[in-house]
Amino acid sequence: MTHPMIAMRAVGKSFGAHQVLRGVDLEVQRSEVVCLIGPSGSGKSTLLRCVNFLESYDEGEVRIEGELIGWDLDKEGERRLMAPRRLREMRREIGMVFQHFNLWPHMTALQNVVEPLVRVRGLKKDEATGRAAAMLARVGLAEKAHAHPQRLSGGQQQRVAIARALAMQPRLMLFDEPTSALDPELVGEVLEVIRALAADGMTMLIVTHEMGFAAHVANRIAFIDGGRIVDEGAPRRVFHESAEPRVRQFLQTYHDRNAF
Amino acid sequence: MRFSVLFHSFGYLTQAAGVTLALSLAGIALGFVLGTLVCVARLSGRRWLERLGGAYVSVFRGVPLLVLLLFLYYFLATLGLDVPALVAAIGGLRLSSGAYQAEILRGALNAVPRGQGEAATALGYAAFDRWRLILLPQALRISIPPMINEFILLIKASSLVSVVGIAELTRVSMNIAAMTYRPLEAYVAGGLFYLAINLSLAGLGGLAERRAGIGAR
Amino acid sequence: MNGDVLLRYAPALLGGFGVTIACWAAGSALGLAIGFAVALGAGAPSRALKGLLRVYVEILRGTPFLMQLFILYAGGPSIGLKLSATAAGVVGLGLYSSAYFSEIFRAGFAAVPRGLIEAAMSVGMAPGDILARVRLPIALVAAAPPIVNTLIVMSKETVVLSIITVPELMYQMQTMAAETFTAFDAIFAMAVFYWCLVEVVSRLGRRVEDRATAFLASRP
Ligand SMILES: Nc1ncnc2c1ncn2[C@@H]1O[C@H](COP(=O)(O)OP(=O)(O)OP(=O)(O)O)[C@@H](O)[C@H]1O
Ligand SMILES: [Mg+2]
Repeated sequence: MTHPMIAMRAVGKSFGAHQVLRGVDLEVQRSEVVCLIGPSGSGKSTLLRCVNFLESYDEGEVRIEGELIGWDLDKEGERRLMAPRRLREMRREIGMVFQHFNLWPHMTALQNVVEPLVRVRGLKKDEATGRAAAMLARVGLAEKAHAHPQRLSGGQQQRVAIARALAMQPRLMLFDEPTSALDPELVGEVLEVIRALAADGMTMLIVTHEMGFAAHVANRIAFIDGGRIVDEGAPRRVFHESAEPRVRQFLQTYHDRNAF
Repeated sequence: MRFSVLFHSFGYLTQAAGVTLALSLAGIALGFVLGTLVCVARLSGRRWLERLGGAYVSVFRGVPLLVLLLFLYYFLATLGLDVPALVAAIGGLRLSSGAYQAEILRGALNAVPRGQGEAATALGYAAFDRWRLILLPQALRISIPPMINEFILLIKASSLVSVVGIAELTRVSMNIAAMTYRPLEAYVAGGLFYLAINLSLAGLGGLAERRAGIGAR
Repeated sequence: MNGDVLLRYAPALLGGFGVTIACWAAGSALGLAIGFAVALGAGAPSRALKGLLRVYVEILRGTPFLMQLFILYAGGPSIGLKLSATAAGVVGLGLYSSAYFSEIFRAGFAAVPRGLIEAAMSVGMAPGDILARVRLPIALVAAAPPIVNTLIVMSKETVVLSIITVPELMYQMQTMAAETFTAFDAIFAMAVFYWCLVEVVSRLGRRVEDRATAFLASRP
């Protein structure tokens, strides 16, 4: 029996008294691209961060290829934090790309990609360098390999960040608003890279405000509001035929804002 | 440790703490006047005044206080002055603190947003009023925390005037150590006095800061 | 200044200079090491440890360096801690500066953007690697200017060691002054010497800072 790449069941999460996720069910199959949309503060980032346990969830289960992440269950069903080493092993298989790139400023683009290969994958320095260079070439940045992040444009930084995650050869990629911090003219180059990944069959869960991109690249759209997934389905259906008034209102506001 | 030996010295230490406080207060107050002058010189826009102010800060932050104190002490002595110790002590603290306070004030003035002065000019304030009513009050408020910090540093630095023989907290602790043959207890007791003074000051500083609404930003 | 006198005392003064620099270097190195450990400890989850380290820092920052030296050097023997003046001076300087260094490191670690650590966690880096490869280098960049400042402050504090008879430069100068009645000249020379030292170290420090932070230079 094959498991879905991500399976979230009844996931709940609170910050203090503020419940941010409520009973979230979401599955992402192998080679599927799911885009997560919704208003600001609705819990998109939190949901995404629960997938690699950067944020711990209080209720429910998040399974990666069938394996529970973050918690160990004992026989009585009590949960205990999973061994840190095991968590790290699971995280290696999950690439993550952040809104603000989060490149390490004291390393060049190449070193940013090499670092985890050496430290985490245990590759030899030159093998890692070879793979990193190839990965930078793949995102179109071969000639920027020796530049520090501060000398790169936002779009270039984000592509380096993608290369860093990809070089680990993850089975799954998470994107948290990868283009929201970019100048409009730089958005395209990053989306192009993600589109190419989708074509290669990479499994991806993407939080985005780029509706056109989502409609084009996603197999499925999940709309989240108030910590709940309120609609989910094929892009065409969610974007044009959603019965959910909150989805329509959100899309209406989006269209109004983007109309000339 | 046996602190009972020190019971009789408690009054002595309290008195000495008073001397330490008085010396430091004199140092910081006189240093404030000096620091203000130096700061004004550094911001005067006159080349030679700026140089002079810069040189002052560089010299008196560069020369260790102990060296400065001894310098003054012997210098005044060669002039044949009668009260070299006290004058040298307060003078040293003042000269040194003046350099630090000049920098604090300069930093605070630079921290007042440019727009504040420009707004005042736009509203038709005269230059003098602009300074008196708009810029200085804000700069002084900004400088409260570093000034309190400077006061704490000065209280600690004042322990060095013990070398010219003034009966402040450190000197008195030395005397007690010599008299009772209990150096550990004597110096720990002296240290506790310093600690009490400085922690109270730090607490007061926090209070003043919150009052002035500096932490609120 | 009297050239003959200086020449006669040159060996002692040179020796004193060496002792000054050695005490400064050893004390600062000790202080950096302890300060770093304290900062790491303060970041640990244990409440008790945090509180204890807070007290350590507050005591060392709240009392004069001279007092700490007396406690260590004069008070030490009554609890079986017998240190030579020089050893007490180095240890004292190390403890005293460690309080300042630990605060600097703490602020440096706090200045590391959370996202950079999360990026390292998301690729599965181990805590030790994250500390060595991400947190520390970035914290050091933030900490470099205040570290240089504190090093300068400590270079001036070495003068205080003369009071507990560490045979450093000031001590030798005073000895010379006492023997030759040239106090004024000697102390004037000390003032000039320290002023030069501080200027040189400040400039060097700024150079090192620029080097260390070169990669942060503004974008083209
Ligand atoms: N570490 C935290 N501590 C407390 N509250 C938090 C924390 N992180 C997020 N929240 C709150 O949880 C809610 C959901 O946040 P989240 O970042 O998941 O929203 P989002 O959908 O990603 O929004 P955006 O589109 O603005 O990125 C918000 O109300 C936010 O204030
Ligand atoms: Mg978000």
